[in-house]
Amino acid sequence: MKIEQYNMPDDLYYEENHFWVKEEGDLLVMGMDDFAQTMAGEVVYVQLPDDGKKLKLGKKFAKIESGKWLGKVYAPVNGVLDSVNEELETNPGLINDDCYGKGWLYKIKPSDKSELENLMKGEEAVTKWVLADIEKYAEE
Amino acid sequence: MEAKYEFEKKFREQILQCSRCGFCQAVCPVYGSTQRPGLNARGKMLLLKEVMDGNLPLDDQLTESIFQCTTCASCFENCPSGVCVPDIIKQARKDMVNVGSCHPAFEGMHKVLQKHTNIYAEDEPEDFERERNKKAEYVYFIGCVGSYREDESTLETLDLLDRLKVDYTLIDEVCCSGVLEDVGYNINTNLAQKNMDLIFNTKAKTVITGCPYCFRTFNNKPQYGELKENGVKVVHITQFLQDFDFSVQTDKRVTYHDPCDLGRHCGIYDEPRNTIRKIAPNFVEMPDNREGALCCGAGGGVRGAFAKNSIAMARRRLEQAEEVGAEIVLTECNSCVHNLGNAKLRKQKFKIYNTTQFINQLMEEAE
Repeated sequence: MKIEQYNMPDDLYYEENHFWVKEEGDLLVMGMDDFAQTMAGEVVYVQLPDDGKKLKLGKKFAKIESGKWLGKVYAPVNGVLDSVNEELETNPGLINDDCYGKGWLYKIKPSDKSELENLMKGEEAVTKWVLADIEKYAEE
Repeated sequence: MEAKYEFEKKFREQILQCSRCGFCQAVCPVYGSTQRPGLNARGKMLLLKEVMDGNLPLDDQLTESIFQCTTCASCFENCPSGVCVPDIIKQARKDMVNVGSCHPAFEGMHKVLQKHTNIYAEDEPEDFERERNKKAEYVYFIGCVGSYREDESTLETLDLLDRLKVDYTLIDEVCCSGVLEDVGYNINTNLAQKNMDLIFNTKAKTVITGCPYCFRTFNNKPQYGELKENGVKVVHITQFLQDFDFSVQTDKRVTYHDPCDLGRHCGIYDEPRNTIRKIAPNFVEMPDNREGALCCGAGGGVRGAFAKNSIAMARRRLEQAEEVGAEIVLTECNSCVHNLGNAKLRKQKFKIYNTTQFINQLMEEAE
């Protein structure tokens, strides 16, 4: 779906800091959403922690930078980092080019997939949240 | 003909002194990562000569060259004609700002420091779990990068000071604003006064800085002259630590990256090495070291304005760490730690730390 100028696909789960999550077999794939990549501008660095890193729901586990902006990445679920998008090491701009495709960030092996239900999904919830954030960032 | 710009008034002879030998090209980190002759010191001097001769306007088309310099002073160190390129570049940038041609990142930084207390416009500083603005023997001044980008390193540095039982306090510090002098503007005197007032309130007679650039700014800029007038000495943490006995050692292969602001700009080469040799007998130098150290690419505002090239410069530096088989890369500057850390590839298994952070980890392990 399109919310103002931002593309926010319907079939994804979203966490409040504007990262998307989707199921892929036993794993979850995570990336930055269109709102975040647009606000951030050209991404120049993505922290790619070692595979196997333990992730605790809501705890910071990586950083993303664009020029003067620093974003913290929080674990959307409990689990273990399965793998990272190594392409981003030398080409972090993939996030700007294709944030839902080639610019994916991390694959996570969740401890309990049902924790996905704590994230936002569906037109009504996502629209309300994105519109509120558009307003919030317009004020700053 | 009367000189049109300040850079010409101050540096005309020096610019004409450039013999175009190209020694600077061999050591320029910007040229090293871009291979563009217009971006090294010789190229910049040629461009400014054309401006002096009236063949080229000082305008936006020069932004990419004149504003893309880390002011690392490697060119000056290697210049047989003694052309002090960083000073010339800084003045030319001020002239460009005066005619309305500035890199937007630096224009933004200038605006940010009129409204905010730090270069990142962050409103919520880390508290580092410590009381601030106490009466103490020392003030520890963190700097913007240490406060907002390398907070984990800063926290470990503070833990080390606690382990060494140093009587210090943090203050509600604001950006020293020295960087503005590098990117075409002037130090913000309100910020300078605020820092000095906070320091005086603590009654401390020594300020320890974690950032080499803050160290230079406090010691060299007239806007901070009141510190000296009031008997307050400013030291960098590497100077402060060199006399301590840490009673810990690592057998890992350790190398040291000289930050330009501490090395070439202040001549501080031995103090960090004295400390590192105490804790790391297996110390090894990188091929380019001390006066010849390769810049990490973060200085002179380049990290903010030309981030990709800046990281590419850091990657070149890390190739040298790999070449000497280092397991640990130490440095004494949060900007260097930040940029080198961003540049490190996953296949490179060495770790990058500020020396303070690494010593704290060794002491913690030994407890």
